[in-house]
Amino acid sequence: MTRRTPRARPPLTPARRRALLALLGVLALAAFAAALGAGASAVGWSDVAAALEPGSLERAVLFEVRLPRALAAAALGAALALSGTAFQALLRNPLADPFVLGVSGGASLGGVLALLAGGGRLALVAGAFAGALAALAAIERLATERGRLSVFSVLLAGAVFNAFAGAALFFLQSVASLEELHAIVFHLMGRIAPLAPWELALLAAAVLGCGALLTRRGRELNALAFGEEGALQLGVEVERLKRATLVAGSLLAALAVAFAGMIGFVGLVVPHLLRLTAGPDHRQLVPASLLAGASFLLLADLAARTALAPRELPVGVLTALVGGPFFLFVLRRHGGGHG
Amino acid sequence: MARPPLRRPAPRLAALALAVGLGACGGGAPPPRAPSERLAVLAPAAAETLAALGQAERVVAVGDYVTWPPELAARPRLGAYDAPSTERLLELEVDLLVTTAGVAGREERRRLAALGVETLELDTATYPAALGSIVALGERVGAAERAAALVAEIERRVAAVATATAALPRRRVLIVVGREPLFVAGPGSHLDRLLEAAGGVNVAADLDSPWAQASLEAMLERAPEVVVDTSDNRPGALRALAAGEWGRWPFLPAVAAGRVAHVDPWRLTLPGPRLGEMAELLARLVHPEALGAPSPTELDAPGGR
Repeated sequence: MTRRTPRARPPLTPARRRALLALLGVLALAAFAAALGAGASAVGWSDVAAALEPGSLERAVLFEVRLPRALAAAALGAALALSGTAFQALLRNPLADPFVLGVSGGASLGGVLALLAGGGRLALVAGAFAGALAALAAIERLATERGRLSVFSVLLAGAVFNAFAGAALFFLQSVASLEELHAIVFHLMGRIAPLAPWELALLAAAVLGCGALLTRRGRELNALAFGEEGALQLGVEVERLKRATLVAGSLLAALAVAFAGMIGFVGLVVPHLLRLTAGPDHRQLVPASLLAGASFLLLADLAARTALAPRELPVGVLTALVGGPFFLFVLRRHGGGHG
Repeated sequence: MARPPLRRPAPRLAALALAVGLGACGGGAPPPRAPSERLAVLAPAAAETLAALGQAERVVAVGDYVTWPPELAARPRLGAYDAPSTERLLELEVDLLVTTAGVAGREERRRLAALGVETLELDTATYPAALGSIVALGERVGAAERAAALVAEIERRVAAVATATAALPRRRVLIVVGREPLFVAGPGSHLDRLLEAAGGVNVAADLDSPWAQASLEAMLERAPEVVVDTSDNRPGALRALAAGEWGRWPFLPAVAAGRVAHVDPWRLTLPGPRLGEMAELLARLVHPEALGAPSPTELDAPGGR
């Protein structure tokens, strides 16, 4: 299965590429505005004047409840979609998502160990990130044969490591106390909570840095879609490209899981939707994923906060419930695109 | 032991409520039979009830989550709710396993019954169900009269609380059972019902289940006049009438009036024999000026917990 034939869709002209990105940028801003303006209370954009008064409900809802959450959703969505784009390009596999390569297993395991050790938020994030990096290092080492990174081995080692991490997590859950179990389940479920300023800054820096790197390598990633030999013939430094893509995708996935657990579907669906509607050229696909990922998670979180208000739903439920059928609809309309 | 006190996992309770709704609960009224002699109990509230009914010496094993009362917490352990060790049940010659409705599962019950271990599932998701559980448990272990007396005593104390608060203003109250994410006591939960007697109005009364994840901004918008926060069960957590983290929201009447209480979950969240005390505590938290504010020790769990 899995080898993706590049679509026959002609590449976009620079003007159309700019127009597409501008459109997605406007969409992201609109999604951000909607996320700020709506929620489970009656506070909305019309209350901005009241929100200027310190200590008011309006100020608290707009600036202390919704704004941090919208910023977190946008950054997490962008990171997950970028990570998915990177892994799909690297593995040339349409089923790749940010959680496929063992990094998520490492992050989950590291985070839960920190949680059980009685650590606070900082320990949890640090533990998750350390776990992700350890997983990445192990997988990279296992998958390197005579100086070459074998994409097949990366995938296999990642899957095996995730299975191992899953078993270890089940073990930890079965020996945890009721409170610990509660904390573990909520940590693993994936949810959007406000990020501390340094967390947000770190995530934003990673998103922008990795986004820029992958966009700059867009032409080479396009060549990689023809296979490693084809890319080599086109003059691409394939080994460097693969490692850079692996590290960028893993870094983004590691931060996202460390900060918010496993929010599924964004990293799988968003790159695909864009590839189906705007073509597979990574020079536009990467920045488009960043913007569309942010929009997608902003809107999914908005739905999670408002659909059954005052009850709140886990955002992962919404991303899968809404994203899944929508994805199938687009797939059907565009007749697939994967050979 | 050092294990922190128990908190009822709200998502599980929601699942339990669903299971009960689907008729998966097999607790009900068992046909009259000889009282069970050797008991094992997985549900913390049921363990407390058994002790209150004077049946502690018949409990030969407990689930991992039973940490109260101390005499039962020291009994041999069986594992978690969903995975009691069958071997240990047989080894300890348990003839009745008391658990929470829906958790053990029908198949599990059937399998245990074939091995000679009856299962009694108790539904404690709502206040009436919690009282019904005390009665059912009493009948099953041959302590029906004591159970009836216990329920009557609870109802008497709750009624007395309702009388004491009848002339006092009704206050909007938010009862928090988990903060990350926010979980609150919704309609039908024992806390919702006891709050009514205590002269409070639950601001989360329009949620669709007894325990539910709630929107923070919606709860803030409802401007609770009292916040009862039982979410933090770490040792050394704040136990007092103090704004704590709720001080972030100075516009809340509860914060302005100094009516934010941090209470150990042990005081309020286990729907067992202490329901009457819970109503009294809630009334003093809702109306501290009229009924006397509780001291920090009255908000904390008893020693060693």
